[in-house]
Amino acid sequence: MSSTLYAFGSRKSRLVPYLLLLPGLLLYLFVSLGPSVATTIYSFTDASGLLGTAVHWVGLANYEEFLFRGANARDNWEITLRTLQFAFLVTVVQTGFGLLAASLLNQRLRGRNAFRTIFFMPVILGATIIGLMWTLFLYPLGGPVEKLLNLLGTRSDFMGGPPSEAFYWIVWIQIWANMGTTMIIFLGGLQTIPNELHEAARIDGAGAWATFRAITFPLLTPSLNTNLLLNIIGSLQAWQLMLVIKGPTNGLNVLGIWIYALAFGRQSNNPTQAAMRQGYGAAASVLLFLLVLVVGLTAQYLIRRRERRLLG
Amino acid sequence: MNRTSWSRNVGLYLALIFIAIIYVGPVIMVVNTSLKAKQEFNLNPSSLASGLHLENYANAWKKASFPLYLKNSLFYAVVATAIYAVTAVFVAFPISRKYVKGHGWLFTLFVVALFLPNAIIPQFQLMLHLRLYNTQVGYILLNLVDAIGVIILINYVSSLPRDLDEAAAMDGCSYFRFVMQVVFPLMKPALASVILLHSIGIWNDYVTPLIYLPAKQLMPITRGLMVFYGQYGNDWTTLSAAVLLLMLPMIALFLSLQRWIIAGVLQGSVRG
Repeated sequence: MSSTLYAFGSRKSRLVPYLLLLPGLLLYLFVSLGPSVATTIYSFTDASGLLGTAVHWVGLANYEEFLFRGANARDNWEITLRTLQFAFLVTVVQTGFGLLAASLLNQRLRGRNAFRTIFFMPVILGATIIGLMWTLFLYPLGGPVEKLLNLLGTRSDFMGGPPSEAFYWIVWIQIWANMGTTMIIFLGGLQTIPNELHEAARIDGAGAWATFRAITFPLLTPSLNTNLLLNIIGSLQAWQLMLVIKGPTNGLNVLGIWIYALAFGRQSNNPTQAAMRQGYGAAASVLLFLLVLVVGLTAQYLIRRRERRLLG
Repeated sequence: MNRTSWSRNVGLYLALIFIAIIYVGPVIMVVNTSLKAKQEFNLNPSSLASGLHLENYANAWKKASFPLYLKNSLFYAVVATAIYAVTAVFVAFPISRKYVKGHGWLFTLFVVALFLPNAIIPQFQLMLHLRLYNTQVGYILLNLVDAIGVIILINYVSSLPRDLDEAAAMDGCSYFRFVMQVVFPLMKPALASVILLHSIGIWNDYVTPLIYLPAKQLMPITRGLMVFYGQYGNDWTTLSAAVLLLMLPMIALFLSLQRWIIAGVLQGSVRG
């Protein structure tokens, strides 16, 4: 029934759209969708990253090793917990920070476009530039952040210090880099709220905070939900900045960078992990995928419930 | 303007300027460092540059093999984005118009990619077995797909009036000519966003070249910069100049085409 709408001749010429669609579709299946699905299959093998080595089916051994076998499994659980901690901190702070920036920029102010441009800029700069820029900004021997911390009576050992401190800096740099996207989505949501509502609230004598709580925030629900989901999914999978700034580092790794180190890790500093264990890495990939799925669906469920409550 | 709104505006500006300092601060540090002499930096990294040591830029250009890396980055971004844009329109148009059977199913196929496990390990095996590891062809091949862009295009096509198709067909225009000469120009706003985001993504990517392009003469600028950082990790004055040389084209691009970049990010966030 649908193809009756096709007006460009009949019979043979009907095939033309299929033929022209084919290259893009095949590329997509071949380079993206196929490999995504194949990750699951690889996770049941002992594939390595070297050509010519035999590949064996090992069943659930990779999963069993990752989750339960010895000291490495303990490390893996620690890495998983750290990933959740990273995602939680990034999601909460980035969403709040983005909402604050968007609310400030939604006022009638001269120069607000310039501010918007500045806040959004890092989104297009990429991990390499941002990573190097912040490494310099946090220079431990008299860099600006160190000087400022000295003034406040504390100090920072960002580069040489304990991983736990570098962790919080990387959380912050991740937020700094991506807040622009959150802000832009909130700004889009704020602009759909009719101005009359705010006027009416002001005439009723409501202050700025009361107006925000009673009118703006509830009406922002759709963009809040979009941002929460994007930030949860994005931060659970994030690792590029960590790779540029510190590389795989014990005590600092999250699942994303750990998968990279297992599968491609010429620089893995754990001698018990043979380099380029791609089957094992694939199993870790599947586990990360399941984690994203579970956390994402839970968040979605909670968000939907809140939405229903707000709509009465 | 009355007193309360005046003080309110001052408060707003103070908050905005505070955030702006957080955002501009690291950039100023890079600019400042790139203008210093090496000893000046070692003595006090935070002091203002006393002169203009522009030789840092010349050093970065030469020592960091900038011309080679820039040429590679440009080549990858232009070729991959051009092929991607054309194939993506030929995928998006008939799916949105329902000119192919199974259009709903095809649409789902592209949406599903956003939720599947990471593909890098099987991709690597694929490239290895095709003998495309460490080749330009292999690297470009990996950059020819992006589901979000296709979804943005599919959504945009539905805003184009269907009467156009019928009128063109009535005049004897073929499907291929119609897409090339009518659809492409009409899709300019969405295509601009998709093309910009795709090429910026390739330009900024560090992980893919790290995995696939170990040969120096094939490296794009992101990878090259990190190699330089590995070799001259303490030479922050030259390194800052190199970072700035990489950053300036992106900032120029962003300032001139901001509208489409932001539109693309917004459309991409809606996800179908």
